Amino acid sequence: MKTKFSGILTLLLAFVVQISFAQTTVSGTVSEEGGPLPGASVLIKGTQTGAQTDFDGNYTIDASPSDVLVFSYVGYSTQEVTVGNQTTINVTLAQDNQLDEVIVTAQGIKREKKALGYAVSEVSSEEIENRTEGDVGRILSGKASGVAITSQSGTSGSATNVVIRGYNSINGDNQALFIVDGVPFSSDTNADGNFVNGNNGSSRFLDLDPNNIESVNVLKGLAAATLYGTAGRNGVIVITTKSATSRGTGAKKTEITINQSYFANEIASLPDYQDKFGGGFDQSFGWFFSNWGPGFEADGVAGYLNDPAQLIAADGTVEHPYSSSAFLDGFLGGANILEDEFQDQRYEWRPYNNVDSFFRTGAVSNTSININGGSEDGKVSYNVNYGHLDDEGFLPGNTVRRNNLSIGGRAQLSNKFTVSGSLNYARTDFSTPPVAASLGNGTTGLSVFGNVFFTPRNVDLANLPFEIPETGGSIYYRNGNDINNPNWLVQNAKDSQLTNRVFGTTTLQYAINDNLNIQYRGGVDFFNQRNVSYINRGGVLGAGRDDIRGEYNTTDINTRIWDHYAAISGDYDLSDKIGLTFIAGATSRSRERERQSTFSTDQIVFGVQRHFNFRQVVATENLTFRNIVGVLGQADFDYDNFAFLTLSARNDWVSNLPTANNSQFYPSASVSFLPTAAFDGLKSDALNYLKIRAGVGTSAGFPGGFPSVQNVIQTLNVQQPGLVTNSVDNFRANPDLKPELITEFEVGFDARLWKNRVSLDVSYFDRSTEDLIVFQPLAPSTGFTQTQSNIGEVEGDGWEVDLGVDIFKSENNGFNWNSRINFTQSEQIVTEQADDIIVYAGFGNLGNAAILGEQLGVIVGDRILRDANGNFVVNGAGNYVSETNITLDDGRNIQPIIGNPQPDYVMNFINTLSYKNFNLGFQVNHTKGGDIYASTISVLLGRGLIVETEDRENTFILPGVNVDGAGNSTPNQTQINNSQYYFSNILFGPSELQVYDGSVVRLQEVSFGYSVPKKYLEKTPFGSFSITASGFNLWYDAYNTPDGANFDPNVAGVGVGNGRGFDFLNGPSSKRYGVSVKASF
Amino acid sequence: MKKIVKYIMAIAVASSAMFYSCETIELELVDNPNGLSEDQADPNLLLNSVQLGYLSNMSYFNGRASSLTRLNVFFNRDYFAGVTPVSVNAVWTRTYSTTGTRGMIPNTFAIEALNTAAGDGSLNYAEGVAKTLLAHNMMLLVDYIGDVPYAEVNNPDEFPAPNVDSGASVYAAALGLLDEAEALLNGIPSGDDLFDIGTGSGWLSVINTIRMKAALTTGDTATFTSLESGGNFVGGPTGIADFRYQYITNDVNPDGRHPDYINDYTPSGANIYQSNWLMNQMMTNNDPRIRYYFFRQTDCTPGASCNPAGDGQTLSCSLQAPPVHYVNAGFGDIACFLENGYWGRSHGNDEGTPPDNFFRTASGVYPGGGYVDGDNFRNGTIELNSDTGSFEFVLDALDDQVGLGVAGEGAGIEPFILGSFVDFMRAEVALSNGATATAADHIRNGLDKSISLVQSFQSLDSNFSPGTLLDGTVFNAATGEITTSEATGDLFPTSADNQTFIDGIVADFNAAAPGADQWNILAEQLWVTQYGAGAETYNFYRRTGFPTTLPPNLEPNPGPFVRSIPYPANEVIANPNISQKSNQSVQVFWDTNPPSAVSGGFPASN
Repeated sequence: MKTKFSGILTLLLAFVVQISFAQTTVSGTVSEEGGPLPGASVLIKGTQTGAQTDFDGNYTIDASPSDVLVFSYVGYSTQEVTVGNQTTINVTLAQDNQLDEVIVTAQGIKREKKALGYAVSEVSSEEIENRTEGDVGRILSGKASGVAITSQSGTSGSATNVVIRGYNSINGDNQALFIVDGVPFSSDTNADGNFVNGNNGSSRFLDLDPNNIESVNVLKGLAAATLYGTAGRNGVIVITTKSATSRGTGAKKTEITINQSYFANEIASLPDYQDKFGGGFDQSFGWFFSNWGPGFEADGVAGYLNDPAQLIAADGTVEHPYSSSAFLDGFLGGANILEDEFQDQRYEWRPYNNVDSFFRTGAVSNTSININGGSEDGKVSYNVNYGHLDDEGFLPGNTVRRNNLSIGGRAQLSNKFTVSGSLNYARTDFSTPPVAASLGNGTTGLSVFGNVFFTPRNVDLANLPFEIPETGGSIYYRNGNDINNPNWLVQNAKDSQLTNRVFGTTTLQYAINDNLNIQYRGGVDFFNQRNVSYINRGGVLGAGRDDIRGEYNTTDINTRIWDHYAAISGDYDLSDKIGLTFIAGATSRSRERERQSTFSTDQIVFGVQRHFNFRQVVATENLTFRNIVGVLGQADFDYDNFAFLTLSARNDWVSNLPTANNSQFYPSASVSFLPTAAFDGLKSDALNYLKIRAGVGTSAGFPGGFPSVQNVIQTLNVQQPGLVTNSVDNFRANPDLKPELITEFEVGFDARLWKNRVSLDVSYFDRSTEDLIVFQPLAPSTGFTQTQSNIGEVEGDGWEVDLGVDIFKSENNGFNWNSRINFTQSEQIVTEQADDIIVYAGFGNLGNAAILGEQLGVIVGDRILRDANGNFVVNGAGNYVSETNITLDDGRNIQPIIGNPQPDYVMNFINTLSYKNFNLGFQVNHTKGGDIYASTISVLLGRGLIVETEDRENTFILPGVNVDGAGNSTPNQTQINNSQYYFSNILFGPSELQVYDGSVVRLQEVSFGYSVPKKYLEKTPFGSFSITASGFNLWYDAYNTPDGANFDPNVAGVGVGNGRGFDFLNGPSSKRYGVSVKASF
Repeated sequence: MKKIVKYIMAIAVASSAMFYSCETIELELVDNPNGLSEDQADPNLLLNSVQLGYLSNMSYFNGRASSLTRLNVFFNRDYFAGVTPVSVNAVWTRTYSTTGTRGMIPNTFAIEALNTAAGDGSLNYAEGVAKTLLAHNMMLLVDYIGDVPYAEVNNPDEFPAPNVDSGASVYAAALGLLDEAEALLNGIPSGDDLFDIGTGSGWLSVINTIRMKAALTTGDTATFTSLESGGNFVGGPTGIADFRYQYITNDVNPDGRHPDYINDYTPSGANIYQSNWLMNQMMTNNDPRIRYYFFRQTDCTPGASCNPAGDGQTLSCSLQAPPVHYVNAGFGDIACFLENGYWGRSHGNDEGTPPDNFFRTASGVYPGGGYVDGDNFRNGTIELNSDTGSFEFVLDALDDQVGLGVAGEGAGIEPFILGSFVDFMRAEVALSNGATATAADHIRNGLDKSISLVQSFQSLDSNFSPGTLLDGTVFNAATGEITTSEATGDLFPTSADNQTFIDGIVADFNAAAPGADQWNILAEQLWVTQYGAGAETYNFYRRTGFPTTLPPNLEPNPGPFVRSIPYPANEVIANPNISQKSNQSVQVFWDTNPPSAVSGGFPASN
């Protein structure tokens, strides 16, 4: 016995097992209307013994004459045949309703879709593979209702927000849980720094190879996710990799599939720059950020000869910026190479193609090789997948390289054990020039984008030398050389992340008898992520990052998740009509994250990025860990195949709270009822199928960190080298902190209409979070500024509708057109709150806030001052006056609300057309509403760069009033010019003026493919061969924003987290297009 | 039987996997490995946090006051929009809580608790110093904001939303802290602090000076006079000379340099605008501190007589007429530019910044530790031109610009209470009492102390070399020998020049009509003396209304003058017992002057 057992363990990935049985051998072919049916299941009724049909629909099974064989296949009606004395049994299965399909639900439990009392969205591998994006999060964009996906930017490898059914927690994580092959998968974004000083980080689902994904199920509601416990409270994305898919247990021949794609990657959001005016201010030339200078024409009111500064010569030249540079004038006493080279040179006063030429067209190559097969008897199957992604961003210096290797297999053993497992290795190497926020005046941290986008039209970015020959430092057109040359940054600064990740799972099942199973599953997810960021000395910013002296930071993040799960499951018929399945189990999830960083500054030898080459070295470390232990149970009752009841519950204990408060129990219940099955005669060609469902789900939320014990903060090198301070932590420990409880009620129906050509799936949910765990701001006069406590409540509700229509449907490869629409609308309102306002993301004075009675996450910031009658107040210079705080009628003092980032609705229109061997697909997305604070737009307007600012000869009078000392309002009559209007108001006026409506229509995906007919392949080694041309984000229109800005609102300007509705000039988007080929042997 | 064995084995495997990884099911892991626990705190390190909190807060009070009183540029056209509740968050938080490395009240009371627990007085020095600093900080907080919490602070269990106390009672509590501090510090021969005081008696002189400040502010002349006669105060016969923090030159890990130096001495030029009014005031008076306060990067500001055409690129207002109300107030000639290359801005100028970083006037050697202004734009060397065989004067372009790590490398000071400031306090009391002659003496002493301190900073700029040829200099082109020149040293005031200046001011003061004219002279000299500090100018301005000779805001309608700054946003939002003030005209308890108004209100200069 013991030896056998070790044998089993080594069989984790084994491909060969000797099994022999001595019974009658039955063989035959399973087919459907159109031909043989591979992968169909053949099961001896009442047992776990079965086989699967091979590629040609053939099967072989050992059975005794009394056995009944059950032939089944998803989407077909099941047939039963008694063996008797037959040795050959051929069956033809008829197509049945698709709703009998089996869905992988929580904890890997497979259920028929019709039995589910909650909404589940499925995305098939066809919708995921051969995509231009290597990031599975982005590929899922728009594929399922209720799922909101926001890219941090179009930079290859940048992070992605994945949020299901809205943001429900103020400070807690709102990101969806990723389950890969049954095991929690870290989808963290371990960015360097923050959005202000630089925020480059990939979301770790980038480590998944989309081409190795078999299926994705999205569990949106809590009733669906209860068994996943607290981690599943934000919805769950259940990913099954090809490696873990047994693809049934049938025999099949080894199949090798190769996908190869090539794509081009371009910037999609290039603004439409104007070419009439150049750099300066008030129509007067100067080497400014602003582009409010004179025209490129000599004559006319705005011509450069009318410039009061008189710096542009009649021949249309100005002094070369490196000749007039005050910086070069003084650098090395004025005796420097650039000063000598450019002294008294002239520079053409004309528009240059500067921004466009800065970007490149990146090349993306994606290779995936998949090998799968099984043993002759179909009891052992395996899958090997290798993927290689080489993704070059449109931003010079931005690349993602990824290698994935994964192997998996499954073996059904003679002794009623089934063992399966998968092991994946991913190595992801991401690097990019630094990206940080810009508010329109240089950049807040080190960033390549800010300085590129507001390049004045008369600066030839591509051809100006960017390096000071003597030092290697940055040089640019500004007189004081106070911004980094973007080309210099690309050469001298880099943020990179190299991740080595191993994740895998092992499952051991034992069938105690025909009704009872026990299962153990162990999973591990471990990765080391090495973040490296450096900048050579010679930069000029000096804020946030020390680019003047040079900086080199290395951070190692080791994250591991151990996940254990053991359960017993059963399946009984309580009576003829009542069936019961149940599962009871225990699970533990242990997560540890260790971060060790070394920060070095003050580079010694230019260009060498190793710690030994820096004068100052500081090391830091941080360790967090948390265990969650749970017990769980679920019971499913079904009555006569038309009524289903699911009851489930879980209790969790968490390690970072004191024993008194560390436990939370949460139950769920859902029902599903099929009128079309229950009532004879209801089912018709008009109404083929109807399911009504309802459910109540609950889940728990636990705090992170160590919130219950008070600390003293010790800091070294404060103000003086070696000086140490101790300070009572301004975070007040809260030993009474308890878990939060989230409750969701969900109802909905699924219907198939008109000969199954129309499908409609509607859900309504209502969710609330009690005892919400919040980082509560404390009045500093209490001695503390913050604590974590259970205050407040957020209530959300929303609708999700999925409609599918077969517009054309024909037999035999004729013309087919399937259209699907998914629609999502939801809102989350703060219904209880102890504080007037909690600003939880963004800047302190411009961010997302929780305010009682408002949508969670409204954008707050300063607004235009209003007089007593609500008129805008304008000052003596003719500009709007801003107001940073207002007091509401009920006495609450808040920052003014200047926008709501929550869209009114999101809709996707997905079409699949096919004719013969051709197929065409396109997906259009429409997001209606949702405000965004867009620095990109306000900068392009405020700096006079885009076509909207071409009208420079008229004056503006801002609508509003002047208020005199006595408080009397008189209409404003002060005229201001174009540059003052845009610069002092649109760009640098009250934040309210920088908020735009983020509605957007987008051609998300389009593809056109051709599969080579089988008859042409007969004499080739190929089993199948197809070629597809596809494009991603080829067109969009944010129709309520200025056209010239060509702004793409799909940007997460504050990074991955709970902040949204912000763009800080850090998120140009990408478009991709190219060709992929899929071949199998 | 076989089945049962298998069953048991399967259970065993499953549970042993759980068992082997028992750390994954451990609970009650509540301690944070990333910080110290409360009982590990070190009182002397807590004191560092208190002292650095005080330093940062003083830097805030100095800066906030200076921009309101024209010592520095106020970068906003509207008082309401320019002094926001959010901008008060940091100073408030460092007072009442901590910001991670700096904080006063919680750490002061943590020291007190540790000292009480120790029971042997071993932490008296630490507790005394902390309480002294806290007392001064609380008074200034009342001066700037008004009624603030004190009795209910630092006790969240009992008072989750502390109420404000009247300014007068907070003053009284602060005086109580000073009494406690005096008792704790009395007789301690030596101790460690960051302000180079080091003795109990030295701190007593600080305590007394803070008491004098309180007496002056609240009009308690008797207490002031009695402390004055005791002689143990900053700058007094038995007190320390100056109460200040000495910045250092270390620029990385940490950056310990003076904030003005950090801002102004960068590779891409200067970032602070100096106040046109102040520079003009000192230029007009031939003030012997001007070359130490300011460092000019050019000798010509666009629009001035050297370049009347102006420059639209670097100083766009040089092409425009000054605002009418500015001209009417008599400040039209300093609205935009000054003579001699002094290049700054006027009160309320909020325009974007042109590329003038290598032209505008930077902060000088005092107090930030930058350059001494030695007409560096004319620094040069006499070199032999090998082609012509004659000697030429070659300008040394490097020296006229700010840069990283040059001059004093930022080793300046943050003035808290300088000896000279106390002389001006004494002058104010004397003048209020009608003792004009005494007031004049104090002004003289104050200027004397100020000038000698300021000029002593010249030694920080060790690279300064006399290499300037002044107009009228003649040198022999054949030999390179200077035959007629004004030595560089002549640029700098001699002690005789200093004396002449002081005598002139005192003479003006004595000659002025009693009342407003005398007050204006005292106030203007106080202003100049307070450059680099400034905290008390805001109090003086609201207390006396002088000087009345300050320029208005560039915005004709900037709103009423800020009589107190708003409550911080972070407190108001989280504390239901504190509501934001309705406006900035709310007066603090000792400010019994007429209310602010847009025109004709108090103070007159607005």
